[in-house]
Amino acid sequence: MRKYIRSPVDMFVKSPFKPLHEHAEKAGEAVHKLEDIMQAFCDSDTKRVFKLSEEISSIEHEADTIKQDIRQNMPPSILLPVNRQDFLAFLKPQDSIPDSAEDVAYLMTFKSDYKISQDLKEDLMQIVKSSIDTIDEYEKLMDELCRVLSTSFRKEEVNKALSKISLVEELEHEIDTMGLKLGRRIFSIEDEIGAVGVYHLSEIVKKIGEISNYAARAADILRVMLSK
Amino acid sequence: MLEIFGLGILSIAGLIGAFYMAWNIGANDLANSMGDVVGAKVLTLRQVCIAGGLMNFLGVVFFGSRVTKTIGKGIVRTDLMMDLDPHMAVLGAIAALFAAGIWVSIATYKQLPVSTSHSMVGSMLGFGIAAATMNIIGFDDIGWSVLLKVAASWVLSPFAGLILAFLIFNLIRHTLINRIEDTAWLEKIFGPLLVGSSCYQAFSFGSNDVANAIGPVPIILGLGDLEIPLWLLVFGGIGIVIGLSTWGYKVVYTIGEKITELTPTRGFSADVACATTVIVCSSFGMPVSTTHVLVGCTIGVGLARGLEAVNLNVIRKIVYSWLVTVPVSMIIAFIIYYGLVGLGI
Repeated sequence: MRKYIRSPVDMFVKSPFKPLHEHAEKAGEAVHKLEDIMQAFCDSDTKRVFKLSEEISSIEHEADTIKQDIRQNMPPSILLPVNRQDFLAFLKPQDSIPDSAEDVAYLMTFKSDYKISQDLKEDLMQIVKSSIDTIDEYEKLMDELCRVLSTSFRKEEVNKALSKISLVEELEHEIDTMGLKLGRRIFSIEDEIGAVGVYHLSEIVKKIGEISNYAARAADILRVMLSK
Repeated sequence: MLEIFGLGILSIAGLIGAFYMAWNIGANDLANSMGDVVGAKVLTLRQVCIAGGLMNFLGVVFFGSRVTKTIGKGIVRTDLMMDLDPHMAVLGAIAALFAAGIWVSIATYKQLPVSTSHSMVGSMLGFGIAAATMNIIGFDDIGWSVLLKVAASWVLSPFAGLILAFLIFNLIRHTLINRIEDTAWLEKIFGPLLVGSSCYQAFSFGSNDVANAIGPVPIILGLGDLEIPLWLLVFGGIGIVIGLSTWGYKVVYTIGEKITELTPTRGFSADVACATTVIVCSSFGMPVSTTHVLVGCTIGVGLARGLEAVNLNVIRKIVYSWLVTVPVSMIIAFIIYYGLVGLGI
């Protein structure tokens, strides 16, 4: 039966910030999986690399579904406490986080039986762990965004969020430095792993670096969103 | 002519029409004032409906007569008509009442956010124009200056609500939300206040909306220039309460489910702004759309960054329903009036 209702209830649309937070959690979940897959990669456990890569891929897919849902529920007539264009611009780099995690996993499935030094393995593990730290901070930033919204932009909460943004950016910068050092080391062992190996490993490192790059980029847009 | 309990058949038709309009107000419009209390889970649906119904009834009885007078004799000089040709005045009032009822029914079925006030004013205007074309009254006897004021109040009231809600929420934001660390506690404190503000709103809605049901009835009953009798206000109030208890509670529930985001601090701001705007309009005798005022207030809270998302296409819908309602209800009243006269009633 048709609802005999004349009230303009459809002006109350679902907040896009809740799915945005969920999307960030999915991104975090995908990045956390990189620790396991990097361990399997270093152990040359090809089977496990494939298995984990599939898992990351399915998380990425879930994130994509949330992203589509957000976009679909963002008519041009929507009034948000932030600029709608900024919101959509923000979603893009956040969505690239699980994408990049998936790319790292895919790259690892190409070849994972390198004979590399324990030292290099540890450094590879370290850059993954640092990326996870960045994403953890990023997720905390998203929690803070929720508090900013629920307090209608209370100054104190906005300032907390802004300092979290700076923290994410600092962590991103550290990872850049780590990536640079790792790249140089990988190029220095061309004799051991061959030119293709050098290319492959440096691609992996580059993609890992992109994760925090995107997190920092999203955080930077968030700064614009909060300052208005 | 046929009489039941000393009332002519036309009087009975008029009361039925008035009851139907009152039912519609209770079934739909009143729900808007109470949805947030259900949404915030402060009271149960049953408690909300009892409180809302009671406060609305009080608003009707104590404050409902001014707008009722505007509808009854402000838009068309029915006092003049009642002296000249009382029977034609009765037919016109009945035509207006049924025209408004028909249009509101159609619009509700189509889920258009039309206003009972706009429908009733449009219908009365249709009655006036028809009477003028029949040479019963002159075109000058239509209250054009009143109509102009009413139209202005339709445009201004949602904006007034918007500004007021924006200011009230900002005041709460600066004095309370910014200073009290525990937001959840603050919202809890605002729970009972939300009940109060919603009751205030239900009261204000009663003071304004009842006119759309009983406005033309004094003409039909031939009550002349007298004050609106208390029993008629009570009759309208009962009709609204019946509308709420037979259908409106479902609408309250639906709205409550949809507006969970309207937390007590936000709901309170919108309610107080809306109720105050409507009460002011009632005291000036202006029949405004309570729904449209509430939409303005909600947008006001949204603009003060109180809501995470508001779909502004509601504005387009409201403007559209506004522009359609007046001419359509006017034409329906015009046709019914000519029909009744043509049938020789």
